[in-house]
Amino acid sequence: MIPFIQSLIDATSAGAVYALAALGIGLVFGVLRLANFANGEIITGAAYALLLLWPVSWPLALVASIVVAIALSLLMDLAVFRWMRSQSPAALLIASFGVSILLQRFYEGIFGARVRSGSVAPALTQSVNVGGLRLNLLALVAIVLAGILLLGVHLFLSRSRMGLQVQAAAADFRVARILGIRSGVVIAVTLGMSGVLAAAVAFILTAQSGAVDPTFGVQATVFGLIGAVIGGLNRVGGAVVGGFAVGFALSLFTSWLPSGFDDFRVAFVYLLVIVVLLIVPNGIFAGRTAKERT
Amino acid sequence: MTSSHSSRTNRFGWSVPSSVLSLWTLAVPLVTVWLFTSLGSNLSSSAAIDLGYALANLIVVVAMWTFIGNSGVLSFGHLAFVAAGAWTMSLLTISPLVKSSIMPDLAPFLADASVEPFVALIIAGVVGGLTALISGFALMRLHGLEAGIATFALLMLVVQVLTYWSAIGPKSGQSMTGVPRSFDLQSTMFVALIVIVIAWGYGQSRSARMLRASRENAQAAPASGISTTRHRIIAFAVSGALAGVGGAIWAQTNRVVQASQFGLDFTFTTIAMLIIGGMLSLWGAVVGTLLIAALNHVLGVVENGVQIGGVIVSLPSGSRLVVVAVLMVLIIILRPSGITGGREARWPFRPRDPFPAAAGRNRVQPPSEKTPAAAGAAV
Repeated sequence: MIPFIQSLIDATSAGAVYALAALGIGLVFGVLRLANFANGEIITGAAYALLLLWPVSWPLALVASIVVAIALSLLMDLAVFRWMRSQSPAALLIASFGVSILLQRFYEGIFGARVRSGSVAPALTQSVNVGGLRLNLLALVAIVLAGILLLGVHLFLSRSRMGLQVQAAAADFRVARILGIRSGVVIAVTLGMSGVLAAAVAFILTAQSGAVDPTFGVQATVFGLIGAVIGGLNRVGGAVVGGFAVGFALSLFTSWLPSGFDDFRVAFVYLLVIVVLLIVPNGIFAGRTAKERT
Repeated sequence: MTSSHSSRTNRFGWSVPSSVLSLWTLAVPLVTVWLFTSLGSNLSSSAAIDLGYALANLIVVVAMWTFIGNSGVLSFGHLAFVAAGAWTMSLLTISPLVKSSIMPDLAPFLADASVEPFVALIIAGVVGGLTALISGFALMRLHGLEAGIATFALLMLVVQVLTYWSAIGPKSGQSMTGVPRSFDLQSTMFVALIVIVIAWGYGQSRSARMLRASRENAQAAPASGISTTRHRIIAFAVSGALAGVGGAIWAQTNRVVQASQFGLDFTFTTIAMLIIGGMLSLWGAVVGTLLIAALNHVLGVVENGVQIGGVIVSLPSGSRLVVVAVLMVLIIILRPSGITGGREARWPFRPRDPFPAAAGRNRVQPPSEKTPAAAGAAV
């Protein structure tokens, strides 16, 4: 029973990380129709900031990572994506793929291709004992942080004036614009939010591994993107659940697959993704709205 | 090129039969590849090495065009079939003695298998095609971004299986070494030419025309009785088979094969080649690949250092991919339909078009250009 609960908590924390990554991707997709593959490099940028500045001063590292993530997110849009607003989501995805490769080489040039290690928030690596259950503090922090951020984004989107504008823009950008919503501000706010979420993912991942290399953020982004797609890219809530499901499944496969099969845990996740997309081609929570067949 | 005219009258007054016009779209890519190869192989020894990779990439990109270009559906998963082809080629041509030492857990029938390189090439194509056919039944019902993500999941699935399943390969994550160099540049070029002919021939087929109809209008084509899914599966299988051949050629060019090689960088390079050339035409696939290959070679030379007026200029290593990425992003922004504009090679002696308005009719425009230039135009 106890190992089961333990693995459940691990799975929840893994799910929480990918839910955050998927939320960042889902928010941007909602407004810009951009499935941003380069989100991974935003995470990597924030992770480098955390790792390099943590020994100097930890509040500075936290602030710097958030600033770097937001700046990267806005810069990417300014340099590339704003020039191709009218293009198809597929073209945008390919372009973001290019931006991702570009930034990876950029990091390689500045920080070197090799893994940089250090320790971020070393206090979190301890475990606490609760009734015979050894709980990894970091896993709890990940769950709590993700919970706070998800709630925060939810409240922002549903309660604040700006949040409602973002939702309106996600529903129908052109009509929202005609109704007087300032598109530039909405886009900037959305990108900023995705930057903050990427910084949170970077914090949890660097605290877990303590090592960053130029492709650091790729895995979280791939799983986040896949999670967002299987959850339903046009529903922000769907993206979160999808991302969570991917992380949860990955972690459970890791701890419960019989030996001999455990090498194939990632393969099982991808197989699951294909099966889910076959059953619900537009994503689990896409709703009944007929999607244009493209 | 799918000219709807039965014939055209040129400026001298005699008409050109449509078969000549369509053969022209095959002849130009073939001659270009032949000229490129004979030029490159005589340039220098390093150029000849790069040329081998360029031809392997060319086969892969032409294979990708066969599906992506005709169907308009994005696939990030073609490297899965390339990997399957490379794996087949390696398992069938590495000598059994070497195999038993680097792959002790290999299934018995694979451990003893050894065939002629040319037979292995064909089997690689069959394996790639079958993988595509089987996965196509599942994947081809999807559209748009979902199709892109699902094909990507397929690639990752195949890579994971090839990495860890020691019954069909080396121990987890290790590489297969000692793949014999079976084809010289000349025969590699002939394989590439044959692949172009097959891809072109498929493009002329009834099935491909129906598929292009569904690409141009996803609603009208099914309404005219075209089964989009069925023709997509056919295209996927043909394309998978050609990609398998590309993988086999790549394996014997690189001579070391490892599952992790078929990852994001390779996917990106080949997609960039297709996008830069223009993904809607075979000519675009050829132009994009040869251009990037030539650029890669030049940059590779500069990376090693070039002497310009007494000063040695050199680029940092890894700058090749940066240049390709920048070029691709610029092309997507400035000329979304690629260098060739998605057109096939054109018959140069065209008559002056008496109806200029109709000139745009044969031109394939990506669907996106029709949407108004509003930010994030609603799907």
